[in-house]
Amino acid sequence: MNFRDSFIVLLITAAISLVGNFVGYQISIIEAIPGMLILVAIAIGGIALAKYMPGKIPSVAYIVTLSTIITVPGFPGAATISALVGKVNFLALATPILGYAGIYTGKNLDSLKKTGWKIIILALFVIFGTYIGSAIIADVVLRIIGQI
Amino acid sequence: MKNVKLHLLVLGLVIISEFIGVISIPLGVGTIVLLPMLFAMILGVFITPKFLNIAKEKEMDDASSLIGLTLMLLMAKYGTNIGPTLPKILASSPALILQEFGNIGTVLFGVPLAVLLGLKREAIGGAHSISREGNVALIGERFGLDSPEGEGVLGVYIVGTVFGTIFVGIMASLLAAYTPLHPYSLAMASGVGSASMMTAGVASLVAMFPEMEEMITAFGATSNMLSGLDGIYMSIWLAIPFSEWLYKRAYRFKYGEFPEPPVKKEIKEEK
Repeated sequence: MNFRDSFIVLLITAAISLVGNFVGYQISIIEAIPGMLILVAIAIGGIALAKYMPGKIPSVAYIVTLSTIITVPGFPGAATISALVGKVNFLALATPILGYAGIYTGKNLDSLKKTGWKIIILALFVIFGTYIGSAIIADVVLRIIGQI
Repeated sequence: MKNVKLHLLVLGLVIISEFIGVISIPLGVGTIVLLPMLFAMILGVFITPKFLNIAKEKEMDDASSLIGLTLMLLMAKYGTNIGPTLPKILASSPALILQEFGNIGTVLFGVPLAVLLGLKREAIGGAHSISREGNVALIGERFGLDSPEGEGVLGVYIVGTVFGTIFVGIMASLLAAYTPLHPYSLAMASGVGSASMMTAGVASLVAMFPEMEEMITAFGATSNMLSGLDGIYMSIWLAIPFSEWLYKRAYRFKYGEFPEPPVKKEIKEEK
């Protein structure tokens, strides 16, 4: 996908998220636009960096790093950026993604039918296993180092 | 990406889902939260050809190519939650790093269960990790995707794709409600290496503990990035060898003898 197309898709997703942000969390669309545009700018910046920087680092890594840097306390304007982006509820950003993911999942239903029930049970236990394993370790260590 | 129908369908899904809003179901001492994102996913599946047939083959194909891109705004948002909390994240880094070894939990639970269910070498592929894209590629390279190991990893991959998000969302909310595990620990655990599963996990936690939103999302996103970085190495050096070891023990426990050595792998190792 070329740069211009990516930009258009980001704007469409942003627009859908703004509507969801209003319907679900009563934040007016106008009020949330600046924060949303900041997110779009960060995303585009990350995609550009991934494209032109050496090392084949995925754009997601650049995006998270960029937005972390500009909101670290002490970075010029960090508080303003945080306040503006704060108008965009993160659940409102997740809902459209899962909408697209749901439609895409329709494609996997046939393969799911072919998967035996044993694998289905196994898959759920496997996810549970990693989750509970990580949660217990995290809990013990956080308590030892006094962060919770 | 110029599929206007697809975007309008998603807009419709979002409006309906957000209108329903967060549903909290009190259950004993705790609460299960169902989020708009879960409704959007389920409704999304329901408009595909197998059900209501509003979204057609073309919409499904186009949607698959867009998911990665639509995630970018959410990722940017996660970063803006990491920034302000960075000192606290760094202070918690021992926990963040060590909990990555929790992935071994998949093997501990998965391999014995798989053998108990009567699965053979599928157990190695299916239970060594949560079988995301990188793991599928790894098992494909090592055993071939048409092998029993490949069947296992692909099966778990598909099930995770269809049910993973919903499952992690509900699991996080149940564990938060019924166990003494701290929301921060559960947030870190949510970073399993899949952005949508992590989001479902942290979103459920945020719905229950709104005052901790910034820390919960920051921990989830950081842990998820770490899993993305170390996941494959964990699989190669730790999870697959451990799976093989545990598989032999579990196999002998069930069938009274050690399994036949895997043929395909030995051929590959001789190369």
